Amino acid sequence: MVLLIHGLTELESVWSYRDDPNSTYATELAAELDATPVMLRYNSGLPIHRNGGLLAQELETLLAHWPVPVENLILIGHSMGGLMIRSACHIGRQMGHQWCRCVGSCVYIGSPHDGSWLARGAHWAAANLALMPRDYLRVAGEFIDLRSDGIRNLSCGEVTPPDFEEPPLLPGVDHYVVSGLLGRSRRHPVNTLFGDALVQEPSARGDERSGWVLAAIANFPGIHHVRLAHDPKVAHQLKEWLT
Amino acid sequence: MTTQANGSSTRWWFGMADLAGVSLEEAALGLERVHLSIADETFNVLRAVPVTRPVSEPVRLMHHGISRLSYRSVALLGRGVNAAAAIGLQPRC
Repeated sequence: MVLLIHGLTELESVWSYRDDPNSTYATELAAELDATPVMLRYNSGLPIHRNGGLLAQELETLLAHWPVPVENLILIGHSMGGLMIRSACHIGRQMGHQWCRCVGSCVYIGSPHDGSWLARGAHWAAANLALMPRDYLRVAGEFIDLRSDGIRNLSCGEVTPPDFEEPPLLPGVDHYVVSGLLGRSRRHPVNTLFGDALVQEPSARGDERSGWVLAAIANFPGIHHVRLAHDPKVAHQLKEWLT
Repeated sequence: MTTQANGSSTRWWFGMADLAGVSLEEAALGLERVHLSIADETFNVLRAVPVTRPVSEPVRLMHHGISRLSYRSVALLGRGVNAAAAIGLQPRC
């Protein structure tokens, strides 16, 4: 089974190729692996740990009722979807869910494991504007602060409730990272500042996370954040890794 | 997560009205604060100038009063839309 999990404010349509809307990474992989493609839709405004808990429960129910035993579950998440995978795996493992034993690979595509520069910037701007002496500046801060819990979690890539310890990656599973860059040249300063537009390359790799062992990392200069979810080059890389 | 039900189109529109009502109310109240605080900057200057000092405070009171009435009327309209949408969104027995 190949499960695709979209990111913040996206729908499952983000996975569709521009020239062939019926095809996604999941359908291409499923054709080669003789698997079933599945796509998730969820409310990305909820806290990531809550969505992770719901996903873990849904997977437990789904796999329990699946007509045949699932041998290999491949989880592919775009942006916030990647953080949800980590959250769901952590909760599923804690709860002793059976689906965790079926997971063969997790792929994180443009996921802000260490946070997104834009979310951090919004957090900083809202906090500082709230301290300003003028009411119109405070209103601007309050406007920026009108963010959902899900967006707030992207400031630091939080996948657990506050004050909970950072969970490790699900053991015994291959973890892959895909990141993009705005500019075609890797050394372009725009890439250093903005990464794929929303997520910088070190954050997508989870450089600040400790104890991570990744099976492989791929970076695609010239492919921006949203395009990472439906680009033929990324599809080719996924096939190389997973089939 | 992932539910589609028959008749969800009407609820979708009520949901949109709910969102629009809240947005209208919050936007009107936010704009009121922005408008009045920016206007205060001007009135503070007028108060510092000897020629305009005697009239600056009455004008400020009148300006703020009319502005508050306008913005809060719009906010009230938003709250009305929101309340109507809430009735439509109530679960049916």
